[in-house]
Amino acid sequence: MEWLLELLQILVFPGILFAILLAFIYEWFDRKIYAKLQNRVGPLYTGPSGILQPFADFVKLLAKEDIVPNDVDKPLFNALPIVALTLSLTGFLALPITGLRGIISFNGDLIFLIALMTLICIVIIYSGISSSNRFSTMGAERAALQLLGYEIPMMLSAISIGLVAKSMWVYEIVSTQASNIWFLMGPSVLGFAIFVLCGQAELERIPFDIPEAETEIVAGWLTEFSGRKLALFRLTKDVELLYLSGLAVALFLGGPSGPIIPGLEPILYLVYFLLKTLFVLFLLTTLRALFARLRIDQMVNFSWKYLVPLAILQVLLVRVIV
Amino acid sequence: MQEEELQRAEKKSAYELFFDIPLGPQHPALKEPAFFKFKVEGERVIGVDADVSYNHRGIEKALEYRNYIQNIYLIERICGICNVAHTLCYAQAIEQLHGKEIPPRASYIRLMIEELARIHSHALWLGVAAHEIGFDTLFMYVWRDREVVMDIIEMLTGNRVTTAINTIGGVRRDISDEAKEKVRKGMNILEERVKYYRKVALNDPTVNARCSGVGILRPRDAIRLCAVGPTLRASGVKNDVRLDDPYTFHDEVPLNVITCDTMDVLGRVVVRVDEMLESVNMVRYCLDHMPSGDVKIKLPLSPPVGEAVSRVEAPRGELIHYARSNGTKNPERYKVRTPTFENIPSVADMLTSKGDHDVNIADIPIVLASIDPCFSCTARMEFRDVSKGKTWIWSLEELKTHCKNRG
Repeated sequence: MEWLLELLQILVFPGILFAILLAFIYEWFDRKIYAKLQNRVGPLYTGPSGILQPFADFVKLLAKEDIVPNDVDKPLFNALPIVALTLSLTGFLALPITGLRGIISFNGDLIFLIALMTLICIVIIYSGISSSNRFSTMGAERAALQLLGYEIPMMLSAISIGLVAKSMWVYEIVSTQASNIWFLMGPSVLGFAIFVLCGQAELERIPFDIPEAETEIVAGWLTEFSGRKLALFRLTKDVELLYLSGLAVALFLGGPSGPIIPGLEPILYLVYFLLKTLFVLFLLTTLRALFARLRIDQMVNFSWKYLVPLAILQVLLVRVIV
Repeated sequence: MQEEELQRAEKKSAYELFFDIPLGPQHPALKEPAFFKFKVEGERVIGVDADVSYNHRGIEKALEYRNYIQNIYLIERICGICNVAHTLCYAQAIEQLHGKEIPPRASYIRLMIEELARIHSHALWLGVAAHEIGFDTLFMYVWRDREVVMDIIEMLTGNRVTTAINTIGGVRRDISDEAKEKVRKGMNILEERVKYYRKVALNDPTVNARCSGVGILRPRDAIRLCAVGPTLRASGVKNDVRLDDPYTFHDEVPLNVITCDTMDVLGRVVVRVDEMLESVNMVRYCLDHMPSGDVKIKLPLSPPVGEAVSRVEAPRGELIHYARSNGTKNPERYKVRTPTFENIPSVADMLTSKGDHDVNIADIPIVLASIDPCFSCTARMEFRDVSKGKTWIWSLEELKTHCKNRG
């Protein structure tokens, strides 16, 4: 029966089904907060306060015609949306949600999680190039350049956490924080700021939505995708958003840990996880509302001029203090 | 089969150094159809080819088949946003044909509505420009506050956008004292908000990064390429029809012509925002100094034989209308020259990398938007054989034959 339980964990809770459900709700939250910040109402009609809108969008896209242009690299073009979604869901499985351990948990999994994010970005680059559309190619090119910009500071800030916890295992990072203080309260404020900013770039949201800049290159790497494939990519983005805020919580905000009433651990852990991720999501959304889109050269410049030195400073700080 | 392979062999790879980026006729950055073909090298634009005639509606011809009163409403629909400027220009031209002056109160009301429409047009533009650089929050805020001036226009004229206030011989509605009070209140709100947006445009780091030093148009080029309106003024050239050739009491109402010597997109933002403030002051002056009297004189349906040219400073620049009457109920010839058409060569110049100024692909939307393009009034019929570089114009008969031959 052990294996059945594990399968249920992976497929239903806190695994894939839960992730997708939560991803839709988080997209709704993101859109609603974004709308509030802009003095709009946001999603309103589908479900109470429009909470079902992202799901409705998804279903609508699934039903739409799925166009495969003649010139695309068909195997890649068809496979990439699924690969992207799989990668982001795999990342989600490694997050500690109902306990201090995720479903996938092994020594050194932090590196695995960071690599997953890079892989998603590489999938994006491939999907842009495989579309063989000018706008897609340019979007892919921009995505690659952007990856060069944000990847290193993001890794450095994650490594600085590894240095504090003296481990690259998310479970140990979380349990260190559970028994001590959250790293955000400690020396890692700077690291958190860098991580959130780079996360914004990873998720391709304003001010770093350069690879899919609507007014410039239509939809960038996403231009040729339609119907089911577009739906899968949008879902990937939502799951990635959830995954990234979950990772930020695990690394900087003590994961799902918090004051515990014995016997109620899993439920309380889940509640803390939700509250903390919503807080990170709120930060990400606020950032989205505050800025105009940067140009790709400005983004890379900004990253190498400020983010990389600051991330190195963060690593040094951690080395000196801890 | 062989042909297909040949075609495939000739096809260029997307990795080649130069390639053409098409922008339009349908593109998210363009609210109306227009086509720009950019030659790019990486992210750098090295050449541009513009084609604007995707929405030809034959309005000038249609005007000849309608009488002067019907034409007011057709003229109004040349452009939705600067409809006040168009009807004003039309009414002036026809009054000139009649050789009659309209009552001063009517002139003041015309001026006031014109300035209100300018505020609304510039606010619209500011929102669109913010959207082009991905700053949707500013876009939403500006458009929210634009509602203030839209409500005022609705209260005064009965419509939010298509005002139908100007008519031949005056205006169709008078302004009551309560309405004046409401306009004053609205102006106070607008002044405060516009000042805030001015601060945002000048101080926000990302707005500055995207707008300053982008889309440079030097004064010499601006004059050579016949730029008009805020595009010209942002290049530091003091030129405004309201000042150079005053109409409807523009010589009485104080006006500072705003110029900016930065010559870039940020300059165009600043010029437009400052013009909004200037318009607010002009509306206030009109409210305070409005003479009493009639708002309309009655003119006969057919003007005497003659020609007239009238000029108006529309929100997008100088607007010229030409009318020729043969004494009948319909005009014999009517010609409209809209400001966007004049600004197309300038925007092509702004979009070409030259000297130290690189134009990035990312800059295209905002530079294009910076002239406040309005392509619906810009359509022209002209035929071009690109390979031979030949340009010609067809008559209706020739066009009919051509269509028949093509089947």
